[in-house]
Amino acid sequence: MIAEALRAFVYPGIAYMVALALLLEWLDRKIVARLQNRVGPYYAGPHGLLQPLADLIKLLAKEDVVPLGADGILFTLSPIAAFVVVTVAAAFVPLASTSGLVSAEGDAVAVLALITIYLLLVYTAGAASPSRYSQVGAVRAAHMLLGFEIPLMLSCLGVLASAGSFRLSELAARGSVRVFGLHAVGFAIFLIAAQAELERLPFDIPEAEQEIVSGWLVEYSSWRLALFRLARDIELLLLSGLAVTLFLGGPVGPSPPGAEPLLYPLYFIAKAALIVFLFSLVRASTARIRLDQFVTFCWRYLVPTSFAYFALAVLVA
Amino acid sequence: MGLYLPVGPQHPIHPEATLIKLKVEGEHVVDADIDASFVHRGIEKALERKTYVQGLFLAERICGICNVAHTTCYTLNVEGLAGIEVPQRALWLRLIVEELARVSSHLLWLGLLAHVVGFESLFMLAFRDREVVLDLMEEITGGRVTSGYNVIGGVRRDIDAATAYKIKSSLAKLKERVVKYRRLLEEDPIVRARTVGVGYLSPSEARELLAVGPVARASGIAYDIRVNDPYLVHEEVPFNPVVYDTCDAWGRAMVRVGEILESIEMIVYALDHAPSGEIRARVPPIFRPPPGENVTRVEAPRGELLHYVRSDGSEKPYRYKVRTPTLANLPAAISMLKSRGDRVVHIADVPVIFGSIDPCICCTARVLVVNEKGAAKEFQLDELAAKRWAR
Repeated sequence: MIAEALRAFVYPGIAYMVALALLLEWLDRKIVARLQNRVGPYYAGPHGLLQPLADLIKLLAKEDVVPLGADGILFTLSPIAAFVVVTVAAAFVPLASTSGLVSAEGDAVAVLALITIYLLLVYTAGAASPSRYSQVGAVRAAHMLLGFEIPLMLSCLGVLASAGSFRLSELAARGSVRVFGLHAVGFAIFLIAAQAELERLPFDIPEAEQEIVSGWLVEYSSWRLALFRLARDIELLLLSGLAVTLFLGGPVGPSPPGAEPLLYPLYFIAKAALIVFLFSLVRASTARIRLDQFVTFCWRYLVPTSFAYFALAVLVA
Repeated sequence: MGLYLPVGPQHPIHPEATLIKLKVEGEHVVDADIDASFVHRGIEKALERKTYVQGLFLAERICGICNVAHTTCYTLNVEGLAGIEVPQRALWLRLIVEELARVSSHLLWLGLLAHVVGFESLFMLAFRDREVVLDLMEEITGGRVTSGYNVIGGVRRDIDAATAYKIKSSLAKLKERVVKYRRLLEEDPIVRARTVGVGYLSPSEARELLAVGPVARASGIAYDIRVNDPYLVHEEVPFNPVVYDTCDAWGRAMVRVGEILESIEMIVYALDHAPSGEIRARVPPIFRPPPGENVTRVEAPRGELLHYVRSDGSEKPYRYKVRTPTLANLPAAISMLKSRGDRVVHIADVPVIFGSIDPCICCTARVLVVNEKGAAKEFQLDELAAKRWAR
């Protein structure tokens, strides 16, 4: 019983996930800062490792404000639900061994469904705020969803179809790398769609600080904002974990016999760091595109390519 | 139906208090207006209560970034009014510092452009490179931003050979980087997607709405006060005004980046060719110019800057009037912000368009007298003079 609880809440459960997510956020911030000729997080912990945690604690200490005219229930439920949804989704991803915290036949589809639910929560979060910027941001988020959701799903489904399994743990255990040949296309589509999903540059259109201040997030403060930020970090972990599982062969790598269970978490962190590095590289070298340009780009190039990729992956398999 | 979307007076795109009132339908802007009357500082009025020498320090503080343009304009204006002869070398030194300030201002603007299109890295790099110029400013004038370099009758400090060498070597490095940024503006697909065709201002509109500076020059109008009405030693320093005819935000960016390179050339030329001699004609702290008036125009980094002074023979100006380039460009900005025909303006274009005129609101702010029904009233100068003490 205690062992079960420890597994669910400490390792490889929620506490480990949060720690890993904050580590990836630190990595992202540090890489982008170095690419921009800045120092980045520095003071909290060695090399600023604890900065994301310090930021979260600082947010928790802030005054909790619910603006007049906000939909109180949705305004409170959205951040909680967003956090729960991404955490549950991340629980399916094999982070510390070849099996996720939870594993079931067809869990890959469940993860994809949870990702979409998260985006709907972004919309409700914006719609629950009374601010005009939030309204515009929420509508933008919904528009974006129309553009990148299909490519995201199809790039995942292509891999799942060619592997012949809908179970993430099974894919992780096989440890086969799929970034060459046909799957390079799927990998590229997944990376592009994942950045849109994460609302990172060049696709941070729903938040666009310079246009609509912070978009759907503008009215959130204190623990609500902290939960949204934590949810964003776990989402980064979720999507990089998904990329690792689907395309980079999961936490499996060369190791001396018998040492595999010890090396699995390290391999996972190394591979996830590689994905985050790619994300950071894009973030540091692009400007934000406009909503109409994004949707046009998706429907003109990304969606047809992803359909072609999916069809070929199914045919080859 | 449309949604009223206020951008400002507090908004991340612009630290100064200005309100862009947008009427949006979905992502499209259908109507726009700008209110720039939040921070009226009453500087023109204050100038009337200071002597000409005291006024210089107030004029310098009209704008932080264009402080050199304002002091150049003020000193030339007062010198013209009082008939003070300025030594040749001082004019060359003024030109050097003015062009250096232009480089600094345009680099800041390049960072601003990067910021409004969400290009964080370019923003950081542009501001890093601006430090080079600010360090040179400190070396020459003693102040990084507010330089206090120009004084009535000349300049405060000379540039010696060692400083000149340092300026040249720093600017050579800066030039390489600016060339790189120009290539980035020309080639980066996302920056092009966000700026090409955005904020279209046709040449005829630019003339009609009296756009000045880089905004006019990006609309194909070769209007540069340094050429049309040279005020320092511009006839003797070779340079080419940068003119683009793309009429959009991208053209304005290219004009400004081109001007950085031109300014660097001008500074290097001026350092090599400046005559030696006195740098300052001594002027008494209190002097009384003859009654009369004078107008001076200067090409500030943002465009044509105009100072007007009227003297009644006392030691203080009777009236001092400043027309800043941003005020001249606001009508053009309002016109660009509205969707017209098939030129649709998106919400995402608003910061780019407003940023493309390089707005500086604090030096522009105007008072609007409004009665209870909301109708604005205009005052003539004599009316205001009559009301001077009527509290």
